[in-house]
Amino acid sequence: MNRLPLLFIGILATFGSAWLGVVAYAYVNLGSLQPVISEETGGLLPPPLSGSAIAGQKVYAANGCLYCHSQQVRPASLSTDIAKGLGPRRTVARDYINERTVFLGTMRTGPDLTNIGVRQPSVEWHHQHLFEPGVVSEGSIMPSYRYLYKVREIQGQPSEEAIPVRGPHAPGPGYEVVPTQDAKDLVAYLISLKRNYPLPEVPEEQ
Amino acid sequence: MEAGVLLLAIGFFLLGGSALGAFFWAVRNGQLQDLASGAEVIFDEDEPIGEATDCFPDKRSHDAVEKLMKS
Amino acid sequence: MSAATAAAPHPSTHTEVLSPQERYEIDRSLRAPVLLFFGTSIFWLLIGSILGTLAAFKMSYPGFLDSEAWLTFGRMRPAHLNVVVYGWASTAGIGVGIWLMARLCRVPLRSQNLVISAGIIWNVGILVGTLAILAGYSRSIEWLEFPGFATPILFFAYGLIGVWTIIMFRFRKPGHVYVSQWYLLAGFLWFPWLYATANILLIWQPMQGSGQAAVNWWFAHNVLGLWFTPIGLASAYYFIPKVIGRPIHSYYLSILGFWSLALFYSWNGMHHLIGGPFPAWMISAAVVASIMMFIPVFTVAINHHMTMRGNFEYLKWSPTLRFTVFGAMTYTLVSFQGSTMAIPALNSITHFTDYTIGHSHLGVYGFFSMMMFGAMYYIIPRLTGWEWPSASLIRWHFWLAAVGIILMVGTLTVGGVIQGLALRDVEVSFMTSVYLEAPFRYVRSLTGIILTAAHVVFAVHFTLMLLRSGEQKKSATLFAKSTREMATV
Repeated sequence: MNRLPLLFIGILATFGSAWLGVVAYAYVNLGSLQPVISEETGGLLPPPLSGSAIAGQKVYAANGCLYCHSQQVRPASLSTDIAKGLGPRRTVARDYINERTVFLGTMRTGPDLTNIGVRQPSVEWHHQHLFEPGVVSEGSIMPSYRYLYKVREIQGQPSEEAIPVRGPHAPGPGYEVVPTQDAKDLVAYLISLKRNYPLPEVPEEQ
Repeated sequence: MEAGVLLLAIGFFLLGGSALGAFFWAVRNGQLQDLASGAEVIFDEDEPIGEATDCFPDKRSHDAVEKLMKS
Repeated sequence: MSAATAAAPHPSTHTEVLSPQERYEIDRSLRAPVLLFFGTSIFWLLIGSILGTLAAFKMSYPGFLDSEAWLTFGRMRPAHLNVVVYGWASTAGIGVGIWLMARLCRVPLRSQNLVISAGIIWNVGILVGTLAILAGYSRSIEWLEFPGFATPILFFAYGLIGVWTIIMFRFRKPGHVYVSQWYLLAGFLWFPWLYATANILLIWQPMQGSGQAAVNWWFAHNVLGLWFTPIGLASAYYFIPKVIGRPIHSYYLSILGFWSLALFYSWNGMHHLIGGPFPAWMISAAVVASIMMFIPVFTVAINHHMTMRGNFEYLKWSPTLRFTVFGAMTYTLVSFQGSTMAIPALNSITHFTDYTIGHSHLGVYGFFSMMMFGAMYYIIPRLTGWEWPSASLIRWHFWLAAVGIILMVGTLTVGGVIQGLALRDVEVSFMTSVYLEAPFRYVRSLTGIILTAAHVVFAVHFTLMLLRSGEQKKSATLFAKSTREMATV
């Protein structure tokens, strides 16, 4: 019974250490990472996001993209992520410092999006895909996000922003599909998802 | 950022401190002695050891439990 | 802790037990507050089941209900999760915890208005939070999707409960503190700490970078192990011995189990992020802690098994025992499964797949929800002084729930492995994993219907109970004779 207080202090220390180790460490260390300067371009890595892309993060969060899509490339020692083309290297903590909410995700019902900006650099492709995923990507179970778009009558000339779409919800002649600001911001964010720049802490992987 | 750290530090010491206090209290209060009888505090004269206290609300179950208790 | 206690006999050896009159008064004092928590939890259970089933079908029919923003999968899925975790499970857990605490403290509830107010405010918070998710205010932080304007409501309501718990414990009758009370006190104090930390660091003053994910999963996993598990185990440690009329096999083991849970559990959270952008030691610590969890889990399993040994036949005749033992066995199973999922070799197959979803439902439903059903079947008649009108409805509830969850977990587990192997295979495309998983997801949607049916049965029966339907059966629940006589007054 005499040693119980000592035992208990040991227990408390370990319980508290989990809090310190996970929470406090994450907060102090990972939470204060800074971007590095690129040797090639002199710009910052990770590159800062445009205002539209930052707004797009909110649209990504509001519509729950994270529940089907992850944003992390695991190392070759633990996975085949790199071999399957998810990215040229694993992702590290510094990659996410520009994200207000970090969308690492825990499900791959849909593909990982870490480098979707590299795989699909076309703005128009993204708008078409969001409007009707099943037409652009055969077999996809992603739902339509056509509620982020406006279908309106063509007034004189078609709008420059109009997106050509196909599929069951494509409007008839005389109508066009135009993205809302939310859709534009979301696509700006998706295009920005490129983690193919080198970072000092990640050696080149085969 | 600093306010957050301070809040958390206070919370941590409050919680950890109270847990520590709880343990010392338990030792001094004799909670950790006589653990055998501790298991019996949930029973009393009206619901003693050996008496079941739940069954389906039908006669079949009631009769079955009465039989089980006697065995 | 004054000098005076040195002369008196140890309080723990002199525990006043309850007289039937006292026990009856305690139950009566708890009636309105606990029924409020139970009734609202059942309401949220129905809403949550429907949301979950609809979301599940969307995976098989992506065009289902896809025209409106508030019905999109990405909002319906977190709405489902938050409704079942906070609206159903936590609310039921608070109700059960309050009742157990009052019983074990052996004093009636004096501050009814406090607890009723807390219950109302709590439910307002859930409603506001859920509508906010559907309206697009979620930040997509898993298990914390209620936005920053909803969480203080929940926190305030919870604060009232926490204060009440401490007051109740302070004014308990002297004597031994039963193991369930340890678990309840710990759970009731851990939860606000977790919730506050997570909300501060992720929502109100978001920390920068991938450390968010570490804190996110520290929180989400700890909600399971340091909130739901303590309430569930407190419930099992009370109801199993109480129903069969035999004390817990080894009281010492139960204390050991408690402290080792506290020791190891909170390191586990990072195992959701194996392979992610974190220092290796954080992930390794999580893996080690996940394995060390074998100790408390095994301890609990031995204890429950040895207590039940020779008494398994009671499972045929007691609803509470049936649900509780189902929950207890599932606790062991899901915990062992969780430990194995943290092993990197296995994790490389199961991570990112439906396997994880099977695991989470096994825990929150197969363990915790079944445990809560068992507790509610015992508690509600004692609150109302009335017997459950229909044995048949109870059996329907049990079998629909048991079959539903076993099928759901089965299909997601098998499917998840297949999905994972395809995701890992460099020879096949991503879409292959989607095609292979499709039939398993469809079966899962069907199990959602089965579980929703179970909950409709329960809700109907609960309503009949409140309306005092059927004859008052004086002999069927084995109320002690004197309690029955008092109940008819």
